[in-house]
Amino acid sequence: MQATSLDDAAAPAAAPVPARNPWLRLLLLPLVILAGMGLSVEAGLLGPLGVQVGHLWATLSIFGVGAALLFLLLLLSGRQQGPAFSELPRWQLIGGFLGPIYVVVLTLATPHIGIAMTMIAILSGQVGKSVLIDHFGWFGSARKRVNGERWLALALIVAALVLIARG
Amino acid sequence: MSLILLLVVVVAAGAVLSVQAAINGRLGETVGVLRSSLLTFAVGAVVTALLIVFFEPAHAVSLLDVPKWQLGGALFGVVYMMVMVGAVPRVGTAVATVAVIVGQLGMGMLIDNFGWLGNPAIELSGSRMLAMACLALALLFMYRSNTRQA
Repeated sequence: MQATSLDDAAAPAAAPVPARNPWLRLLLLPLVILAGMGLSVEAGLLGPLGVQVGHLWATLSIFGVGAALLFLLLLLSGRQQGPAFSELPRWQLIGGFLGPIYVVVLTLATPHIGIAMTMIAILSGQVGKSVLIDHFGWFGSARKRVNGERWLALALIVAALVLIARG
Repeated sequence: MSLILLLVVVVAAGAVLSVQAAINGRLGETVGVLRSSLLTFAVGAVVTALLIVFFEPAHAVSLLDVPKWQLGGALFGVVYMMVMVGAVPRVGTAVATVAVIVGQLGMGMLIDNFGWLGNPAIELSGSRMLAMACLALALLFMYRSNTRQA
């Protein structure tokens, strides 16, 4: 249940720490690629599991095991910085409600269109959403003029989806 | 479910995911990545459990009956999260994003093509390769327009 956050790729990173050592970068890149491969393995495990035990149960296995692991990690990593959850604005807490939607859809889709195509469709949604939000100024974001390159990107995305639908 | 409808649902899920990523990114900045992730996973587990209690029909096979390796999906998500936390500040967000997508799609194609992990084998057809090329170009254009604005 993770996003390759394309939006973050758009914004300049808050505090980039450029690696002085190019070797470190070279070592890290395969690690990041492996992590990305892990996301597809995760999706690959989910599909068949959902077919056998039900999509919601498969989803629960992800969130249940993930929550347990993170709880242990948090417990072992000592005192945490920052305010308590109760002090945060409520809307910041709704991420947890959106996560299950994504995972259930993964379990539903991968047996039918395959993992690679599911990932492409997910990425399409991410790209399309950011272009449309900027263009129409949805969700209270400032209305920005969407330039030609981004419309082209959206058109390519639609083309990719048509290709997937055709099989 | 028809293929077109399914595609629409998956694309919508991608949009939902990026909304979630934006919200969680903000949350992670204030309370730390570990705590924001735990919150996401814990709330996700509770919501899913509630849905199961009220809506899920009984299944002949339960989570405890399937081979244990099928339950390891969450491990990959948590490892992914920790790798990104460590690597993104050092290699940069854009490079990390591209590397993740390369890994994701590459592995996705491999699993599809060979039918690994109990998935149906789907041969890598010409239109699938074209779809991937379209996505790569789209990401390139997104990236170029973003760097120009920044």
